[in-house]
Amino acid sequence: MVRNVGMPNVNALLLGILFYGGAMADEVPAVPAMVSQVCAACHGVDGNSTIPTIPKLAGSNPEYLLRELKDFSAGKRKSDIMGAIAPTIDSADMKAIAAYFGKQKSTSEPVQDAALAAVGKKIFLEGDEPRGLPACAGCHEEDGSGSKRFPHLAGQHRQYLMDQMQKFRNDVHTYPSAKFMREVAKRMSEEEIKAVAEFLAAQ
Amino acid sequence: MKGIKVNFFVKAMCLCLCWPLFGLAQSSTPATGDIKIQVWNELRGEKLEALQLKGDVTRGAEAFQPCQGCHRRGAVGSPSGLYPRLAGQHATVLVEQIADIRAGKRVNPTMAPFSDEHVLTTQEIADIAAYLQSLPARSLPEARGPGRALDRGGKLYGTDCVVCHGNRGEGDSRKFMPLIAGQHYQYLIREMVLIRDGKRGNANPDMVKAIGAYGSDDIEAVADYISRLMPH
Repeated sequence: MVRNVGMPNVNALLLGILFYGGAMADEVPAVPAMVSQVCAACHGVDGNSTIPTIPKLAGSNPEYLLRELKDFSAGKRKSDIMGAIAPTIDSADMKAIAAYFGKQKSTSEPVQDAALAAVGKKIFLEGDEPRGLPACAGCHEEDGSGSKRFPHLAGQHRQYLMDQMQKFRNDVHTYPSAKFMREVAKRMSEEEIKAVAEFLAAQ
Repeated sequence: MKGIKVNFFVKAMCLCLCWPLFGLAQSSTPATGDIKIQVWNELRGEKLEALQLKGDVTRGAEAFQPCQGCHRRGAVGSPSGLYPRLAGQHATVLVEQIADIRAGKRVNPTMAPFSDEHVLTTQEIADIAAYLQSLPARSLPEARGPGRALDRGGKLYGTDCVVCHGNRGEGDSRKFMPLIAGQHYQYLIREMVLIRDGKRGNANPDMVKAIGAYGSDDIEAVADYISRLMPH
């Protein structure tokens, strides 16, 4: 008798937990503690930083974010700030952070110069064939959403984008996979870099 | 299975093909070129290594992403002819060309920095080659020649090109002869001029000889003809 009464209760409890967990995952993603305690101060709790020199992480591919975190941690990718923070995050937390930011939606910035953005759009989608400048969309996708290997750029702060391009151009980024972008940045003029950043920020 | 076949084939090539070519290549160094060809398509180093690796189509599709900025999605290339169609090309030819560009044997300053060892691993060369070979080779109508001298082009093709590139421009995977049918007209012209003038770096000496006397009209006519051949 006791067993017969007890079992349905356990089942109901389990169902309740499952239902509650499902609702959590679909509607209000839990914010990992590490995000609210460490990342959010600069990158925003939803990964949409409001500081023009700090990148938005929302909507980036989790595999890409995880790789970058590991590279910061190992000192492969240099950054005064992230170089100090990343080594304090353990592997499980890195995965949770990457998965969380990957699920967020990136916000876009208002257009400041429509004509410049049009120039940037053309370069982003088509490159410049006679000069051997590849289309950015080849890796970063036509909507700027990136992939496992390449960062999400749509909606990114124009200042951050331009800062990174300068780091490629001036060989500040020395990690091996930066080789491709170092070459791309050197084939672009300052004005072209500005134009592409103007286009992407508004995506 | 494929790996074993390629391995055997590579060894056979080394023994049978490269040996007689050594003498041939030495005697046919292009007269006007800046670059001296020692041995055509010598199968050693990274090229040999990549040919022996088994390429994976799925991994190749991912590794090809950085190439899409120029060669475009589906590797159709650019109708302007500045970038060739790579879709459907023989994997052996692709490995040969990427390895040559990487080693500085084929002169290609546009692509060289993007095919650097920091961008692609040797395994990824094999993977990309497998992926591209698996894609359908299509001819882009807007990338064909003007169709003005097809008789002349066909005649020249039959005399000078067919022996290596085949009746339909299909090439020969085993002999590292590229598929050229339906390739972009302007690309064909550019490469033929580079080969004729000894500036491509890794040109087959037989081809340098075959088109050595070609004028611009001859090159345009034969490129026009090839650009209209149906790949399949």
